[in-house]
Amino acid sequence: MGKKKTKVSRVIIYIFLTLFSVIMLSPLVIVLSSSFRTPGNMTSPLKLFREFSLESYVTAFTKMGYLSEFVNSFITTAGSVCIIVLLTSMAAYPLVRIKKKSSRGLYYFFIAGMVIPAQMIIVPIAQVFGRLHIPNTRFTPMIMFVTCSLPFAIFLYTGFLKSVPVELEEAAFLEGAGLWRRFFTIVFPMLKPATVSVIITQGMWIWNDYFFPMVFTTKRTQYSLPVGMIQFLGDRENPAQWNVLFAACILCAIPLIILFLCLQKHFVNGIAAGAVKG
Amino acid sequence: MKNKNKKSGMLVMPNRMYIFAVPALLLFSVFWIYPVLQLFYYSFTNFNGINYNYDFVGFKNFARIISEGSLLNSILNTLLYTLIIVVVSNVIGLALAFMLNMGLKGTRFYRTAVYIPALFSAIVVGFIWSYVYMPSSGMVASIVDLFGGEGKWLNLLGNYQTALVSIAAVDIWKNIGTTMIIYLAGLQTVNESYVEAGMIDGCTDWQLIKYIKLPLISTTITINVVLNVIAGLKAFDFSFIMTNGGPGRATNTLMFSIFQMAFNDQMMGKASAFSVVSFAVIVLITIIMLIHMNRKEVEF
Amino acid sequence: MRKQTAVFEKEESKVKKFLASLLVMVLSLAVLTGCGDDPDSFGHGSEESEDGDITITMLFSGVATEDDFQTMILPKLIKEKFPNITLEVTELPDDQYYTALKTKLASGECPDIIMVQPKYAGTNSVISLAQAGYLLDLSDLACLDLAGDAAKQSFTYDGKVYGISQGAAMLGAFYNKDMFEANSLEVPTTWDEFLNCCETLQQAGIQPIVMGDKDAYVMQFGLYQIAANEIYPNNPTYDDELRTGETHFTDEGTWDKVLEMYYELYEKGYINTSSLGLGASQAMQMFVDSEAAMTFDGSFNLQGINAAGAVDFERGYFPIPAENGDTYAAMAPGGGPAVYSGTKHPEEAKAILDYWFDGESPVYEAYSKDGNAIVTYGVGSDKNDPIFDTFLDMYRDGKAWYWCNQAWPAGTETEMEALFGSMIGGQGTTIDDITSGMQRKLEELLEQ
Repeated sequence: MGKKKTKVSRVIIYIFLTLFSVIMLSPLVIVLSSSFRTPGNMTSPLKLFREFSLESYVTAFTKMGYLSEFVNSFITTAGSVCIIVLLTSMAAYPLVRIKKKSSRGLYYFFIAGMVIPAQMIIVPIAQVFGRLHIPNTRFTPMIMFVTCSLPFAIFLYTGFLKSVPVELEEAAFLEGAGLWRRFFTIVFPMLKPATVSVIITQGMWIWNDYFFPMVFTTKRTQYSLPVGMIQFLGDRENPAQWNVLFAACILCAIPLIILFLCLQKHFVNGIAAGAVKG
Repeated sequence: MKNKNKKSGMLVMPNRMYIFAVPALLLFSVFWIYPVLQLFYYSFTNFNGINYNYDFVGFKNFARIISEGSLLNSILNTLLYTLIIVVVSNVIGLALAFMLNMGLKGTRFYRTAVYIPALFSAIVVGFIWSYVYMPSSGMVASIVDLFGGEGKWLNLLGNYQTALVSIAAVDIWKNIGTTMIIYLAGLQTVNESYVEAGMIDGCTDWQLIKYIKLPLISTTITINVVLNVIAGLKAFDFSFIMTNGGPGRATNTLMFSIFQMAFNDQMMGKASAFSVVSFAVIVLITIIMLIHMNRKEVEF
Repeated sequence: MRKQTAVFEKEESKVKKFLASLLVMVLSLAVLTGCGDDPDSFGHGSEESEDGDITITMLFSGVATEDDFQTMILPKLIKEKFPNITLEVTELPDDQYYTALKTKLASGECPDIIMVQPKYAGTNSVISLAQAGYLLDLSDLACLDLAGDAAKQSFTYDGKVYGISQGAAMLGAFYNKDMFEANSLEVPTTWDEFLNCCETLQQAGIQPIVMGDKDAYVMQFGLYQIAANEIYPNNPTYDDELRTGETHFTDEGTWDKVLEMYYELYEKGYINTSSLGLGASQAMQMFVDSEAAMTFDGSFNLQGINAAGAVDFERGYFPIPAENGDTYAAMAPGGGPAVYSGTKHPEEAKAILDYWFDGESPVYEAYSKDGNAIVTYGVGSDKNDPIFDTFLDMYRDGKAWYWCNQAWPAGTETEMEALFGSMIGGQGTTIDDITSGMQRKLEELLEQ
């Protein structure tokens, strides 16, 4: 009797999961089908897979300057993530270890930054860049990538750091290890799950973000993939090249998809780890 | 004894540890906090975002925002939007996580399917969904037709009653994968011995979930709710990409109104005042939420 | 204890490895950031290298197409004429362009050549930018005289010219000639004929007009045409007087009339009832696929209108006729390039523009062939698509008015769109609500 019941419930679960996956994936089929059309064929995108051509991909690839943009995206994403990991893990250290009102206040100071969206303060930010005479280079957006990531990454790190026992550090202290050695040899390695989740969550938005590169770069050679992609997005006086845009979007997402499929385990654990412990 | 502990604690964890936070603090203050303060300042001026010959106008911007009534509309839209994504994302995300945590075959596939939308950029997601929602020949309309409904009359984005819900659905579609994965990891930390003990005691599946699993992952629930609330209050992308705040003002969220004011109407001063007010609203909501949820979980 | 130290050491070597790799990453990054002698990676705005070669940057709104004039052809032709100048052109879609421009002005990293809109139109309007001192005076450019007074006037602030029009653009109704013929219809010449035309099509089971009002800006396409017929002929200085307070949007027989006429098309179902759920490009596609007989759109979208659809048919273009048959075209000089006042190479930037718009250079020729704007002088002005002939004749006869939003402070038209949207969305908004809302917004914007 019980066995039958679980069998039935399993079938129900499978049906639900399959239906849900269909809902999740079907809109993406439109993207895939449209990206295989020629750039000019815009007739109802819902008529799927009537045409198979790589022309849109070729156009997107060459017009974007895919390789140079890929390199820019890669450098800025990897570079920002490294700096974020370093800065925020360090910042979280005193915030957790010093048990005082001042550290708690500092923690909330950082966390409060999370509720402010960048669009809201972009003009004053740009003014700061102007006042400090920071030139537009392909690396300039990294400053904002790092700054914007601080609150969330610190949130993750502090949450995780609380579960790292103090005893090991005390032992090291007795052996005469200084603060820096203690942090880099004992604490930081223990934070690995949080580090993975910072790398993944922040790396993902940085890779997909077009806003800061658009604002803080000037030349095509400085563009990253998402900025290259939005060039295919039309406006009221220029009809969009949707098929090319879709192809560009897939080209842009493909590195992430490949990475996701290869590192699925890390992805899953990474996104979750910090949050769960938090 | 207690005193001694504290003292040795000071030795092991001295105040000069704060030096670790200095680089982050510096960056944060210069590129984030200072601009926010600047924004507060602009809220008392008639700055248009371009011309630096602006005047100080006192509380005029604030008075105008309040008298206009557009603030209330934006706040209500934002709250509704937030409520929808928080409830739906968490309920479905949790349900999915439970199902995918049962060790069924094909878990990997389903997990990937649910997560993949998160890898796409909001612009493209917005455009795809405008075809899903397109009146008469869109995907939803075609499906309704298939089941004998009148898809022709389905105008989800153009209708005042459904537009906001429809764009919230897109947000959920894009981000539910992340929510689900956080729950999944939370469930993986649940100690099986508690569950087994419950099973021995003859709990039903539902009781197992309600009295054992859910309390054990309450931290995860808090995290997900907080993240979704923040995402909801900051909602901007889909109003901007899919509906431009329309029809009329039905999908004007706080952030969309601010952006529109600053960049379309060129009223940076008024937009700044709007930002200050929304900032206050968001902080208020966050505080209320934190008080209502189990405080300990979110804080230290 | 020993065991613990061993663990410690093992742990430590792991950490060292990690730290070493982190160091390598940071260092290589520093090296990459530091390669300042590579002008491409570090150049901002425009920088001079040793041999006198200069780079001029240009930011435009547009979309990257194949053989794109702005990003592909223009830089190449400029290089041919001025071998020491490299023109770096980047394009962004409208909304993103506005945001980028505003932030680049704020950070002082503005490109040398930017795109501005005539008069007060939009966020990058020539007047608001010139007022703030961001634009270079271009009054002494020879090419300005070629374009004529109307174009020059549109880019004048305080007696100086700050921008160059890229050519004219117009609003009208694209129609499906085959459908009109099949229903033995002719191009209407009065408003009543136009309504009859729609009625006949509707009776024949054809959707007369399709609009994508989800992108609310398309409402302007119809409304400005009606305004050109019904408001400005009666009072040519209506918009100027709005600014001085002599006229109001709420004045009887002005905008109430325009809105009422346009609303009639919705009321009778001549414009698709689902318009608020349809995007502009979706609506255009429906017209192209022969699912509707007409759509209101601008000349700038001709390429999209002419794209191959599900059915082949001949396209036509006419201005929405006036009530009394005395029809005016809604036609205006379009936006165009201007020079950033902070540029390091003002002379070179000006030389580029003068060359581009001289009416005979290869750049001008390529530009007029591109067909995005309608050129009114020089090479190619006789080769505009014949679909525009009616409009161009009207323009030459002086039977044309500018687009309303060029004379309004930016933001007035969005208010109009939002309110009109709530009227057709059945929110009980009345025409009086719209006109008084527009008036309130106008007064608020003028006060700034």
